[in-house]
Amino acid sequence: MDKLYGYSGSILEVNLTSGTIEKVQVSPSDAKNFVGGRGLGMKILWDKVKEPGMDPFAPENPIMFMPGPMTGYPFASSSRTCVVTKSPRTSPVHSTYKHASTISYSNMGGFIGPEIRFAGYDGIVVTGKASKPVYIKIENENVEICDASEFWGMGTDAFDIKFNESLGDNRFQSCYIGPAGENMVPMACVLNTAARAAGRGGTGAVMGSKNLKAIAVKGTGFPEVADHKKYLELLDKTRTKFRDDPMTAWWRANGTAGALTMMSEASREAVKNFREGTFTDVSLIGAEAARAKAWQRDFACYACPLACKKSGIVQKGLFAGLVHDGPEYETGTMYGSNLLVNNLEGLLKEIYAGDDYGLDIISTGNAIGFLMEAFEKGYIDKDFVDGIDLTWGNVRAVLDMLQKITYREGIGDLAGHGVKKLAEKVGRDSHKFAIHVKGHELAAHNVHVNPGMGISYVSSNRGACHLNGANPQEQNSTAMVDSLGVCLFAAGSYGENGLEDIITMITGHSYPTEEYMKTGERVFNLEKMFNYREGFTREDDVLPDRFFEEPLTMGTGKGAVLDRKEFEELLTTYYTDRGWDPVTSRPTDEKLESLGLEFTME
Amino acid sequence: MEKKKNNEQLSRRNFIRNVAFGTGATLLLTNFSLIRWHVDEKGILRGIVVDYDKCTGCRTCETACSASNHRVWINGEEMEGLGNPWLANIRVHRFNPDVDVPNVCQICPDAPCIAACPVEPDPDTGRRALYRDEEHLTIKCDTDRCIGCGNCAITCATERSGVIIPNPETGSPERMCTLCSGDPHCVKACPYGALSLVEVDTNREFFGMSPKEIARELMKKYYKTGKEEVSHG
Repeated sequence: MDKLYGYSGSILEVNLTSGTIEKVQVSPSDAKNFVGGRGLGMKILWDKVKEPGMDPFAPENPIMFMPGPMTGYPFASSSRTCVVTKSPRTSPVHSTYKHASTISYSNMGGFIGPEIRFAGYDGIVVTGKASKPVYIKIENENVEICDASEFWGMGTDAFDIKFNESLGDNRFQSCYIGPAGENMVPMACVLNTAARAAGRGGTGAVMGSKNLKAIAVKGTGFPEVADHKKYLELLDKTRTKFRDDPMTAWWRANGTAGALTMMSEASREAVKNFREGTFTDVSLIGAEAARAKAWQRDFACYACPLACKKSGIVQKGLFAGLVHDGPEYETGTMYGSNLLVNNLEGLLKEIYAGDDYGLDIISTGNAIGFLMEAFEKGYIDKDFVDGIDLTWGNVRAVLDMLQKITYREGIGDLAGHGVKKLAEKVGRDSHKFAIHVKGHELAAHNVHVNPGMGISYVSSNRGACHLNGANPQEQNSTAMVDSLGVCLFAAGSYGENGLEDIITMITGHSYPTEEYMKTGERVFNLEKMFNYREGFTREDDVLPDRFFEEPLTMGTGKGAVLDRKEFEELLTTYYTDRGWDPVTSRPTDEKLESLGLEFTME
Repeated sequence: MEKKKNNEQLSRRNFIRNVAFGTGATLLLTNFSLIRWHVDEKGILRGIVVDYDKCTGCRTCETACSASNHRVWINGEEMEGLGNPWLANIRVHRFNPDVDVPNVCQICPDAPCIAACPVEPDPDTGRRALYRDEEHLTIKCDTDRCIGCGNCAITCATERSGVIIPNPETGSPERMCTLCSGDPHCVKACPYGALSLVEVDTNREFFGMSPKEIARELMKKYYKTGKEEVSHG
């Protein structure tokens, strides 16, 4: 067999029910066709989940921690790990299967992805369910399932400190869940460094369902590349490129928070449960305010020149002394603008709480926004929300809700299941402002003035996703970025053929642009077939009514609303461009054959 | 075999001695300005200094250091390695609350690591197994003569920043900065300009302190409200 350059060639498989620990070979054809990260994770999911309708919380549902073949090589922000599993968040309009759901993938930066690679693995696949709380400790070949009872119940911040102390060596990198994941709140996420999250799609809940608190990993190796000389050349070229790229300074200056005021001005922000696109108070919570009042330092993920993470301290008021990162664009919008919270200190406390509990801040921001709107409209009363004063902008109410969601108390239990479930309970026409696609809430980008973002949301394979891309080309390209293990923020600065050249150099397989894009397309279509098998069709690719019925009332986008017919036409064009049946949304047999996905055809 | 036995004896005895001495020495030497370096005689002593205000913890320095100091031969040509951070001499320590502290050999003027080396000086060169290289004034180890006792590492850990780590198999000291023969790659590669090559100054803030001690000071500096303790929620 040819040597697999750029890969260790092994996946670590841990079964928590039996305690079995195995190294499984990566098939060279899978490596070539599905690359790594999101793509290889999807392929493994397909191979392991043979029938549709599996309960995402069943022990058999694998949760995978997948770096890509770029992860760990010091190219700009080659730091990513994609967490892949069957989603506990999504559901179709109609399906024969009770537990039908889509794939879930969510990726995080930080340092754990590179370390998984240094330890000698192209990914970690965990199945089964431990009988008590455990963590997995990996040091190269040595893998142990360890008792995590002493850590169970801890918030991610305290855990991060205590866990590192107990490991006794700060070369360990880890990822973990907070109490929300332990309690299997569907909106729970996986975090590392107490701040960087694989936030979306309920990955933390799946980890919790396995009684898996954390993974700690340390390694000493590094997979060889196919063309070492070229590696040094491209590394040098990339470093120069990023040094000279004006975007580098943009990211460094404010991180994603720099987009808060910009997006609000363009009426593209999520404001007041997506009712508006502009937040009049945005400057109070934007990057400038944060820099003046809280931020102290910039932080970067592994080998990244962008340093988009900003950490600081709350100086004044009730929460004085609180140290954390943020706001970012997503957290600042979802816990700020979307809830009309204009108090920076309160916003930072909310973000801290969300991260500490281990919650998806996007989805929880939606759930609370939905309840605030229903409360304002009189669809629900105070009793319905356990006496919490859910008025817009009320920081205390947001914090109370986050706690209730985490511990699944009263209204919190329902809210943690998402706005789709909330709307079913609240009734009337509340589904019109339940902001989700397939049960997965929309991120901080409003769509009234941005139909392309609407396409991104409805056609995403994990339920609403703002990073998905507005057309097949963008989506295929993003699927590749997520599979390579490089950060989407940095990917934009690699330039023409930048990533193609790097993956070709690493693996020794030629990825000319056409092949590169086709590989992304293959990943996307396999995800699609997984979802289609579960019962998801075109009827699930819909935006909430709000965007078609309620024009924006303020800002530069005042009056903007989507036209339903035009949007449906846009979607039909999208399916046609994809080579999918516009009625059912199923990829055609010809398309599947051309991508080597015959094995998905039933 | 004999060497190993010898090591163990030396190691145990010296460990106790050094820990005892080390603690005392740290207290005595908190004023590092007493340390002298004879520039006229030996030349300017240079080392890597970190600007913690600029460091973002990205660890690019680790990869550049490793690539430069662990070179490879490919088709008869010597070139830089992949940059496996495990092999780096500079190491970034991460702390919570957010602070990152790159730890790199300070190339101390008094080199307590060399002073702790129990190998008798070579009559010709005057070198112990651990010695100061004449050209770049960095600390080097003659692995042929090193007995792997680990004294240098213990001394570095107790009296300075603890950068020296004994090789797990041979016990020989590793991670001393080589300055990449005068052109340190970490300095060049740092995307944030946080590293520089400057004249060693024992009066410099944080000189000789361990990453943990430095982190404690930085946390006080960055995350200060007037309250004593930072809060976690």
